[in-house]
Amino acid sequence: MGARFGSAIAAAVLLATPGMAQVRPAPWQADPFPSRYKPAAPDDMLLRGATILDGAGGRIDGGDVLVRGGKIVAVGKTLANPGVREVDARGRWITPGVIDVHTHNGTFVVPLTDIDREASDVAEVSSPNGADTWIETAVNPQDMGFDRGLMNGVTTMQILPGSTPIFAGRSVVVKPVRGATVWDMKVSGSAQGFKMACGENPKSWGADDDNEGPTSRQGVVAYMRQAFLDAQAYGRDRAAGKVGRDLKKEALLGIMAGDIRVNLHCYRANDIASVLAVAKEFGFRIGAIHHATEAYKIPGLLRESGTCAAVWADWWGFKMEAQDAVRAGAPLLERAGACVMMHSDSAADGQRLNITAAKAAAAGRRIGIETPPETMIKWTTSNPAKLLGLENRVGTLKAGYQADLVLWSGDPFSIYTKADLVLIDGAVAWDRSKPPAAPISDFELGRGGVR
Amino acid sequence: MIRTIAALLALAAMPAAAQTIAVTHAEAWTMESGEPVRDATILIENGKIVSVTPGGGVPQGASVIDARGKPVTPGLMNGATQVGLIETASADTRDQGSADDRNPGFDPSRALNGNSTLVDLIRADGITRALVYPAQSRIPVFAGEPAIARFRDGVDILGEREVAVYAVIGGGAWDKVGSRAQQWTVLRKALGDARGAMAARDAGDAKKRDRHGPPPGRGRRAGEEAIRGVIAGDTPLAIHTNRESDIREAIRLASDFGIRVIIVDGAQAWRAADALAAAKIPVVLDPSANLPGSFDELGTRQDNAAILTRAGVKVAFGLAGGKIHTNYNAGMALREGAGIAVANGLPYADALRAVTVNPLSIWSKGGGTLSVGADADLVVWDGDPLEPSTNATAVIVEGRRVSARSRQDLLAERYKDTR
Repeated sequence: MGARFGSAIAAAVLLATPGMAQVRPAPWQADPFPSRYKPAAPDDMLLRGATILDGAGGRIDGGDVLVRGGKIVAVGKTLANPGVREVDARGRWITPGVIDVHTHNGTFVVPLTDIDREASDVAEVSSPNGADTWIETAVNPQDMGFDRGLMNGVTTMQILPGSTPIFAGRSVVVKPVRGATVWDMKVSGSAQGFKMACGENPKSWGADDDNEGPTSRQGVVAYMRQAFLDAQAYGRDRAAGKVGRDLKKEALLGIMAGDIRVNLHCYRANDIASVLAVAKEFGFRIGAIHHATEAYKIPGLLRESGTCAAVWADWWGFKMEAQDAVRAGAPLLERAGACVMMHSDSAADGQRLNITAAKAAAAGRRIGIETPPETMIKWTTSNPAKLLGLENRVGTLKAGYQADLVLWSGDPFSIYTKADLVLIDGAVAWDRSKPPAAPISDFELGRGGVR
Repeated sequence: MIRTIAALLALAAMPAAAQTIAVTHAEAWTMESGEPVRDATILIENGKIVSVTPGGGVPQGASVIDARGKPVTPGLMNGATQVGLIETASADTRDQGSADDRNPGFDPSRALNGNSTLVDLIRADGITRALVYPAQSRIPVFAGEPAIARFRDGVDILGEREVAVYAVIGGGAWDKVGSRAQQWTVLRKALGDARGAMAARDAGDAKKRDRHGPPPGRGRRAGEEAIRGVIAGDTPLAIHTNRESDIREAIRLASDFGIRVIIVDGAQAWRAADALAAAKIPVVLDPSANLPGSFDELGTRQDNAAILTRAGVKVAFGLAGGKIHTNYNAGMALREGAGIAVANGLPYADALRAVTVNPLSIWSKGGGTLSVGADADLVVWDGDPLEPSTNATAVIVEGRRVSARSRQDLLAERYKDTR
């Protein structure tokens, strides 16, 4: 079976018994927690005279962007105004909204308290296999991390479960807009994301006497293989009507069918290669290796697998498997033709993903690799959009795309630059000139010491 | 034999020590004013700055570093980190804490390791000094005595030891005394005991000495001398704390005992800016923080430094970036944080002061300038030092050019052509 993404037919065939002609959606394709997100009323506008990085590698100096009805209508020079508000963007920059494919917002909610230390919502850890969990059922939308991201130009976030379990469950993709529930923020139609983990986190958990699970790298990889084999057997039994539904095995079938996209937490080159081999064995493609601190040692392997690397610039050293991280990872991978993007894993650093890209590019310069801004911006916009299966909707400034974009006060890779205007689906979600009178998050409202 | 080795060492040291370095075409931020000296020639001899002259000449035989019009600053100082004490996450490579409840008296400077990869990296990021603080002890409130590290080449990176007594006050699961109320009681009792013992010693009254503190040699707690140094005004008391109520309590403490206090972390310091300014209490803070990790830090904001500086409080940057960055990226996070402070209203020259002259005036006796006669710690940059996209191109410590290559640079070089 060839590696592929998103094949509903293949998914159904996997379960089909001979003589079963009708193709039905597979059970793992259903979304039991549908989105209720509705874009805000559109703010049509023509942004004039900006330096535009389109996210796909293009740059226009002194360019315009026309936004109408929630969509980007045109990107170019001296566009005609069909009668909408004009914004003088001279001296400023426009890019697609920043996309962070790795946050724990809503589940690692500051301030942390005893309940988080006792029973965290970052991941379900009663078993190394939490494949049946959906992280959105834990999200607290009052997390300030959403607001801080929005104010700094983030327009799409993937919330992943944590890396303690080997199979950690489904992710959710959200817009950092206000809502009483995560489903008011949830993006529909993205690839269904899933988190897996290798290396120190799952094995350390398993090594604790109180916990279930393998205690070594090889044990973790063996656990993965056995789980996929068991899921295949379940698929046959289920198709034959011998067994009832098993949510965990269903999810793994969805992965093997290419309908559920794996985000793999993995650091060392050897660990990454091990799990890429498992993916090949079971016929699926891993969407991205997250953290991937040694991906720069194996760019060819990532290229051949069609797998991206989601990296930091400067997280290193804090665990043994992160000893060989280098700031220049992203420019090294880019130069080798691999797909790379920045990610945060942190509500603090997630506010500055473009600065993360700037650090990586600067480290590349130290070894003679120059990366222009129009390439760097891909690491925070169009490449992450591909991982989320949203590459035809966001992450690029192009006619017909959703108007998720940022008007920056200056060069988006400068520490002094601010997000002046953030548009989500063509509506102003953040305007720096009109800061809200009260805190955005309910959590901060009315608390002494805050304002 | 010993004399021979000493003579050889002296010989080996002499040429380098006598070497004159000329940094030419520098945008020299001497920190003597809010503006740089343009096209400056900076002459360095015997570890000191000899001159900073616009368009100045270069003496014969000097080793020349052409700054190409780019900024040259004093070597930056991180006002609070644990670089030199930590190598990895593994406990056997970490020396920042003491499990001995006889704190204070924990002197982490004895463990400083100049061969650490973290030292190579912080130096490559243009930081030549740091305040290295001890981790909080299990028994509040004293953690030990911080040291100043000097990132010269080689294993010996000790600058000054025991520059303060370091205490931690606040909420948290680490607290073994029960609550912050009890932490303040412990702190006040220790200061009161020391004051009493000192008074008794001065009066030569043996009975009073027995009443106010244990006599020498019997149950005497390590670090007692350090606390007496605080009472005597020789040593500042650093209080790592965040909540406004604790910061105001620290101000009262300073007044009640007539001691010098430094606030470290200070998430809510902006709420007590005027009181801190009036009490002349400086603050060492993380300029990038805008998410409260704990209830003590509610309201933490990136214009903390701007508000405090405007009110007249002396601010230095440390603990930069929080979490792993505070140690593993103690150079980059410091520069990035200073840039964030500027983006949030702190004047540029004040941000540079917060990573040069201010930390040295808070933790030591001054320095951190390119003034004539100053220690020659300086950095040549390829752009604005507060931009994370800028690299340090030359780093000079005590008048010698030091390595500015990290292990990360070497790894990246090794895999540069891997496809």
